[in-house]
Amino acid sequence: MRALEPWVAAPLQTFINESAARLILLMTTSGQVVAQHGFSRSVEVMTAAALGAAIVASTEELSRTMAAPRFGAVVHNGSRQSCMLSAFATPRGRWIGLVVFGSETSVGLVQLFFDQMVEELVMVAPKEQAPAPMLAENFEDELNTSLKELFGR
Amino acid sequence: MSLVNFTAREITCKIVYYGPGRSGKTTNLQYVYGRVPEARRGRMVSLATQTDRTLFFDFLPLELGTISGFTTKFQLYTVPGQSYYNATRKLVLQGADGVVFVADSQARRFDDNLESLQNLQDNLLAQAVDVRQLPVVFQYNKQDLPRDLILNREEMDDALNFRDVPSFSADALHGSGVFETLKGVSELVLKRLAAGTAVA
Amino acid sequence: MAGTAPMIAADELLERVTQVPGVRGSLLISAIDGLVVAERLMDGIDGRAVAALVASLMQRLGRATTAAGLEPPNFVHLKGGSGSVLAAPGRDDVVLVAVVTPDANLGRARLDMLDVVGRLT
Repeated sequence: MRALEPWVAAPLQTFINESAARLILLMTTSGQVVAQHGFSRSVEVMTAAALGAAIVASTEELSRTMAAPRFGAVVHNGSRQSCMLSAFATPRGRWIGLVVFGSETSVGLVQLFFDQMVEELVMVAPKEQAPAPMLAENFEDELNTSLKELFGR
Repeated sequence: MSLVNFTAREITCKIVYYGPGRSGKTTNLQYVYGRVPEARRGRMVSLATQTDRTLFFDFLPLELGTISGFTTKFQLYTVPGQSYYNATRKLVLQGADGVVFVADSQARRFDDNLESLQNLQDNLLAQAVDVRQLPVVFQYNKQDLPRDLILNREEMDDALNFRDVPSFSADALHGSGVFETLKGVSELVLKRLAAGTAVA
Repeated sequence: MAGTAPMIAADELLERVTQVPGVRGSLLISAIDGLVVAERLMDGIDGRAVAALVASLMQRLGRATTAAGLEPPNFVHLKGGSGSVLAAPGRDDVVLVAVVTPDANLGRARLDMLDVVGRLT
């Protein structure tokens, strides 16, 4: 399991243990990864986050179009595994959870423990914003080198 | 908004390629995807129509490398250019750390560029983002076309680049200017992040 | 509306169970999804949590009895310190659940619950 900030780890671990979910991804509404469990490659996580955030953004837009309240969760029921997406408010802004689960658990259990995790996250979230990183003065040189290497130039 | 993981020493930034339909936004990402080693990029996701026009967005996750001890990851997105997809553009633009405005250099697309730039400003304002604070670069694409069909970089700057932000000539299909554009926006985004004043 | 009639029927059946002395609430839940189908509950009972956890319990009990070479249970009495949870599986993976006080008429509750699940279509 990987979490952007340490205070996210304990509620997330409890959720993983209790819900028996296979994968979980917490992200911002703009698709930035906050924490994850179960993914192997970081770039795959970013793709899942981008798509998850897009689905939630689309359904929220859809509910606005229909003048309906926001949907609580979106569940895709699959034959081998299912997936739930749900957005929630935290002191660090609005986040989204993407949970993939199989037949060893149920959507009811996943939703139940997910809601408990959200309550816990809101409770333990620090009120102050995360600090900005200190980049070295010559970071542009490092950026140039990295990009040249990336593009094979 | 950029995310920084101090434990794992990672920075993740979101860059959005904006511009009118068929200006070459997807082509930019396709070129980057084709040139970058597989270990440093994810799958390129394109949510497109049957005729390969961008319906929702294209997405390409990249690992730029280590900068000041931070593993730096960029998420490159494109928006659908066609004017009737504005709701989708707004969604993709949300939380952007930087914007590459890909303009079509053809003279006949002059109005489309202006309309798209105005639309970008409107959408940023609607999200309470200060346009002057957001890192933006211009890319004048299709500069490889015959001279009588296109406006040159100075003419494009005069028409679009009121804030005198970095601008780049490009032929995204063959890769010219793609790297320079990405480098330009990366520098601005990281400078802004280091200054500690996140945009959104 | 096409879905209205069965919901009223389910509600009436739950009402019959909740009329048994000592029953604090009853629910119809989906055993596969762990979600509430219909409920009649007194304040203080978290129907959503009961549905999710009882569905999980019924699945595990089903597996346990099958592993022991037995038929899956047709009635479960989970006795707690301050009352009990009763569960009766019906057709189509629906389970009827009742939450009862320690002094509830368990015999009548059991009979009514088995009768009710038999009527569910």
